[in-house]
Amino acid sequence: MESSGLPVDLILATLAKEAEKVKERAKKGSDVLLGPLDTEIAQTPYDIVYEEDRIKLKHYKPTTKHQLRTPLLIVYALINRETVLDLQPNRSVIRNFLKEGVSVYMIDWGYPTRIDKHITIDDHVNGYIDNIVEFILEKDRLSTVNLMGVCMGGDFCVIYSALHPHKIRNLITTVTPSHFDIDTGLLHIWMKKVDVDRMINTFGNMPGDLMNAIFLLLNPARLMIDKYVGFWENVDDKEFVENFFRMEKWIFDSPDIPGETFRQFVKDCYHKNLLIQSKMEVGGKKVDLKNITMPLLNIYGRYDHLVPPEACELLTKSVGSEDTEDICFDTGHIGIYVSSKCQRELVPKIARWLRQRDRDGTGEKTSLLRRKNKAGPNPTG
Amino acid sequence: MENDRDDKSTPEALFSTWMKSGTELWVSMTRAWFGIPETPEGPTEPEDTVKRTRMQESWESTLKMWEPILTKLSEPDAPDAFSKGMEALPEIVLKMIKAGWEGYFDLQQREMERLKRIGKHSEAYTFEDLDQNIFRAWKEIYEKEFKQVLNIPQMGLTSLYQTRMNQAVDKFNVFQAAAAELSRVLFLPVEKSFRVMQEKVGELTKEGKHPENTRDYYVMWLRILEGHYMTLFKSAEYSAVLSNTLEAMEDFLGARKKVLQDVLQTLPVATSKDMEELSRQVYLLNKKVKELAKKIGKP
Repeated sequence: MESSGLPVDLILATLAKEAEKVKERAKKGSDVLLGPLDTEIAQTPYDIVYEEDRIKLKHYKPTTKHQLRTPLLIVYALINRETVLDLQPNRSVIRNFLKEGVSVYMIDWGYPTRIDKHITIDDHVNGYIDNIVEFILEKDRLSTVNLMGVCMGGDFCVIYSALHPHKIRNLITTVTPSHFDIDTGLLHIWMKKVDVDRMINTFGNMPGDLMNAIFLLLNPARLMIDKYVGFWENVDDKEFVENFFRMEKWIFDSPDIPGETFRQFVKDCYHKNLLIQSKMEVGGKKVDLKNITMPLLNIYGRYDHLVPPEACELLTKSVGSEDTEDICFDTGHIGIYVSSKCQRELVPKIARWLRQRDRDGTGEKTSLLRRKNKAGPNPTG
Repeated sequence: MENDRDDKSTPEALFSTWMKSGTELWVSMTRAWFGIPETPEGPTEPEDTVKRTRMQESWESTLKMWEPILTKLSEPDAPDAFSKGMEALPEIVLKMIKAGWEGYFDLQQREMERLKRIGKHSEAYTFEDLDQNIFRAWKEIYEKEFKQVLNIPQMGLTSLYQTRMNQAVDKFNVFQAAAAELSRVLFLPVEKSFRVMQEKVGELTKEGKHPENTRDYYVMWLRILEGHYMTLFKSAEYSAVLSNTLEAMEDFLGARKKVLQDVLQTLPVATSKDMEELSRQVYLLNKKVKELAKKIGKP
């Protein structure tokens, strides 16, 4: 004992003391696991108002009177599913928007199969998103919509807003990477070394399971050990167990990414960093960020290991809009949507920002709001 | 009489008689079996009314080929030539066997040398380094010794299929080696974290600051582990190993796809190649239809 330097006797004594607790927890835990568990996700009621190929447009049923004339269209990433925004009733970005009187539409990208491998960024942006925007404009008899993007979906929104600025009233990007030439995020480091041609030629579509494996490897200590230790420590808490399984269900529900879309995204963004330089081409047209003249709210997480702040904060300085704002939350990539603190702050902040730009409902912006936040991000928390 | 007997009992005469009777026997047997007329002058059925199977035709053509050979062999000077040939036979056989054995022994010797080399490869790494270098050692042995066997050019009708199968086996082995090495690299931080943890706890104990709660030990270990992983993931070595593994996996999947393509081609189902072509056509068609629909205002 002396030679190893380990207080083994103390450890053993503590272990013996805790053994009783563990036994009790295991008994209660088995009751919880064997009993009825509500692990359903995405329970907020909605209608499917538009369908194209495998893509669906959800329109959530309002819970209060609409306070904004302009509806909000949420574009989720192609990685994982949009259901994280409606994970559970008391942790739902969607429900919070409805409570704020926002009419919410959200795109469900579905599950791409081998037949979708040829679908490009152009098909997503100038095809599906544009068709959906047109559909909403016609349905709600409007000339513009509010657009909110999540992660890669945010990049689609940036590209769309640059190519079709007249259809977008306000743009909100959340955890959206726009500057890819950074060395802080592991994903950015690894992606630069990926031979994407070889990968897509082999797999066809980028397998969701492979993406998930890569994400797990970004922090195996937390994601492959600590998470499950945490589960075991709380296995006797029914609510914790239900929430744990909801999150687990969401994390491993990973659709494949259409091959050609992934190829262009990795090459143009991660390898060449074209988007932020306004050099990226989509559908034969240059994506000029200076065309983004509508108000822009850019939100990201300080501890985001997938999309670090450095990857996000350059966007507001590169667009043509004079009304831009950065908000940095003290949280990670997913924490922005599911953490208790962000649940209280994210949606009210966005709703407030939208209301200020939706007063007359005509799409006209007041001169007061034409401001450019050059002072840097507005920290929260 | 004596002469007569002598003439008939000489090996040449016996051989000639045996060959002649043998030829006659086989010719008549074949004709009887397939109902072929004994003589050309005999009654024959019109050609179109004779039902001849493919087997009959094949047998007949063989017979036609053998008949002159056998007849030739039954001629007087044939036995002499044949017996001379027979005299030389043991020598030829001996040479053939010798060449065969030599080849076999050579092959065996090479295999033994190959095995000896495998032993040498293992010896090159010390026992202490074995766990770290075993994957590299195995890869080296595999690439130098076993891979060559799988890369021997194939022959014959099925050679292309066999080549693709061998390639799939080869790529699978390479992928397994790469995956094993990746696993080893991923386990390194766990090993190191235990060592660092032991030292830290020792230090804390000396200072009388050791945690009493097991959870504190766990949190301490997790932080150390996380730190080691972050260091590892940013290293060039890890990037190289990860990249090798991905490439090896892609190579194996590509090779497996080709073998599956060969298998599926024999079945009445669509192959991956067919599906790929079809999906491309559907994609282009779909795009065209949507463009046209937009133009006429019917999205």
